[in-house]
Amino acid sequence: MKKPISWFTLPFVLIVLLFSTTNSMAGNAKDLEVGITEHLDQYIPSGIMLTDHNGKLVDLKQIITKPTVLCFVYYRCPGICSPLMNGLAEVMTSSGLALGKEYQAITISFDSRESTDLAAKKRNTYLKKIKGQDGAGWTFLTGDSVNIAKATQALGFGFKFVNNEFMHEGSLIMISPEGKITRYLKGISYQPFEFKLAVYEAAKGKSSPTMIKVLQFCYSYDRKSERYSLDITRLTATITLIFALSLLTYLLLRGRRKNSNSVNQ
Amino acid sequence: MTGNTSTQRMPSYLEYQGKYTGIRAWILSTDHKRIALLYLYSQLFFFLAGLVMGLFMKLELIAPGRQIMGPATYNALFTVHGLTMIFLFIIPGLAASFGNFMIPIMIGAKDVAFPKLNLFSWYLFVFGAVIVLLGIFTGDGPPDTGWTFYAPYSLKTNTNVVLTVFGAFVLGFSSILTGLNFIVTIHRMRAPGMGFFRMPLFIWSLYGTAWIQLLATPVVGITFLMVVADRVLHIGFFDPAQGGDPVLYQHLFWIYSHPAVYIMILPAMGAITEIITTFSHRTVFGYKAIAMSSLAIAFVGYLVWGHHMFTSGMSETARLVFSFLTFLVAIPSAIKVFNWTATMYKGSISLEPPFWWAMAFIFIFMIGGLTGLVLGSVSTDVHVHDTMFVVAHFHYIVFGGAGIAFFAALHYWYPKMFGKMYNKKVANRALLLLFIGFNVLYMPMFFLGFMGMPRRYYDYLPQFANLNLLSTIGSWILATALIIIIVNLLRAKKGTPEEMDDPWGGRTLEWKIQSPPSLENFEEIPVIDHEPYELIEK
Repeated sequence: MKKPISWFTLPFVLIVLLFSTTNSMAGNAKDLEVGITEHLDQYIPSGIMLTDHNGKLVDLKQIITKPTVLCFVYYRCPGICSPLMNGLAEVMTSSGLALGKEYQAITISFDSRESTDLAAKKRNTYLKKIKGQDGAGWTFLTGDSVNIAKATQALGFGFKFVNNEFMHEGSLIMISPEGKITRYLKGISYQPFEFKLAVYEAAKGKSSPTMIKVLQFCYSYDRKSERYSLDITRLTATITLIFALSLLTYLLLRGRRKNSNSVNQ
Repeated sequence: MTGNTSTQRMPSYLEYQGKYTGIRAWILSTDHKRIALLYLYSQLFFFLAGLVMGLFMKLELIAPGRQIMGPATYNALFTVHGLTMIFLFIIPGLAASFGNFMIPIMIGAKDVAFPKLNLFSWYLFVFGAVIVLLGIFTGDGPPDTGWTFYAPYSLKTNTNVVLTVFGAFVLGFSSILTGLNFIVTIHRMRAPGMGFFRMPLFIWSLYGTAWIQLLATPVVGITFLMVVADRVLHIGFFDPAQGGDPVLYQHLFWIYSHPAVYIMILPAMGAITEIITTFSHRTVFGYKAIAMSSLAIAFVGYLVWGHHMFTSGMSETARLVFSFLTFLVAIPSAIKVFNWTATMYKGSISLEPPFWWAMAFIFIFMIGGLTGLVLGSVSTDVHVHDTMFVVAHFHYIVFGGAGIAFFAALHYWYPKMFGKMYNKKVANRALLLLFIGFNVLYMPMFFLGFMGMPRRYYDYLPQFANLNLLSTIGSWILATALIIIIVNLLRAKKGTPEEMDDPWGGRTLEWKIQSPPSLENFEEIPVIDHEPYELIEK
């Protein structure tokens, strides 16, 4: 037993291997007619041609060059779209991430009747709400019904036209610079930390600040509640290990007790 | 150093008069030796209770069909038998009783680092045990989930799961605090000159065990609380109907309960090392290898829990890795066995009862260990999973390994603890009877399991009748042997100080002091100036 080290490394290597083999859950059952069907780990196809707020025709896939927060709304929406957009604007400011540098945002109108002018007008409204941020990083898109259908299908966004209004759900969709869908943040208001986590998750591979690494370690995405939640198991394990290590360190540093002559009865 | 034999003999810890008298002199004593005996008596009490339940189970299985109880009673019985034997007898095991008694003495200290915490741990143990017993005798009947409390059944059954699980939670705290106490004692209280590599190997094994107790037990504590929360507050951690995951329960449970097997077996191996070394009258072979193998078992033991779940729905990769890691544990275990054999080689072996017990341990433990490989490799495990084969393997390891080592240690240290010697001839014969009974009881279960008899049923198909009958007869032989062994120990006779202080020619510190030891163990703290197990002229 001269080198017990080599004994211990083997299981470690295997454990690392074990946890690095991920099972992708890309089951593509029937998508919801109205609502979000998560298309995690799938890529946005190229050839979805939409018009940006300047009237320029762009390929959705090609304008995604950074971690991207994408949302579907329609600009005349009387329902959840405005609260959603307000929520997004709010979290953009409060998350502390630099729009245009660390990530970009794309808003797509899924009402094919809406025009570029309306998109530009709405954009101006929301840019006022994110003062201090670089507005160039937020693109507002419109498109024809064929391309909108392509986009919504690719992203798992189901909506329906009923009584002159659209039935739909609200969600932010996180997309990696390579066009891979990495996360859906549902609802209309978002916690800064979960927004941050999701952005860094989309940027995976790039270095993230220490604080984010800590957050990523402590929180994991809970499929059931569709939220990032505190990973209790991980946290308690860490606390236990820290406690054990400090105990061991203390004991090793202190060594033996000088006088061990006291005995209780 | 010199022995105490020539100096003035002090009143022993059994005779010492402190502040209190009568029962209070025991239950309020913080002397590690008295606490050790409190553990010993409580553990033996629970062992006998578990034994009686086991006998009833075997009686039910004597023939196909219903004999003395129905399925519900049988379910409750095997659950309570498991709970009692596991949580109340073998998890405290050798550490709580013999560890408590021997750690301070073997490292040259007067007590453990935290004597009051030590007594508190025993109170927690008793408190936990009382709650478990309440759980058995109150409410809507004893739990019928098996000692593993697998969800989702443990969330659905109407039996008294909450109380029992809470009792096990309290027992866990006792275990954690004992582990903490031992770690600090071993680090801080060693006598001058007693470096880590001069400690007896029993201490090394207890050191490894203590870390497992400290690190693994919190996991099962939290898991049990989650079961309580699921049942009482309907949170749904493990209930699939509420979006929970029952497999998560299995993971959490086995992350503790597999290392728990090493909590049981490591001190057992340590005691066996002491016995073999003493009776071979040789320095132990491969001291460092044995010491390090204890730590290696403690460490690798953390990473193998998945082998309990090969058929629970795991990925191929996970099964492969867990299977491989399981095989790795065989290496440090085998290191110990080979070193024991090498210690005996060319030794001057005296065939005293503790040595025979150690031999019985090795024989039975080997069968348990090798059949463990059958269960550890995925393809064979799938065949014998949840059959009597598992029951047989488990009892060969836990009873045949840890349990037999417990009695081996009892026979080895009995003269030291009580200053009395049992009848050696009776001890040897009773051991032989126990050895026969044990194998007649459990060996047929390997075959039954291989033939396809599932475990945890009160009834079975007619083709299993003969082997089950044989097994039941074995249980009677085993019980008879155990009664003889215990009566023989109780009838042990007082010997002269010369006979009792060191009856075996042991070389560790406990044999240098009087039997039974005085309150403070050492009147003067010894200074250690020689290697462990070194033969020195007295």
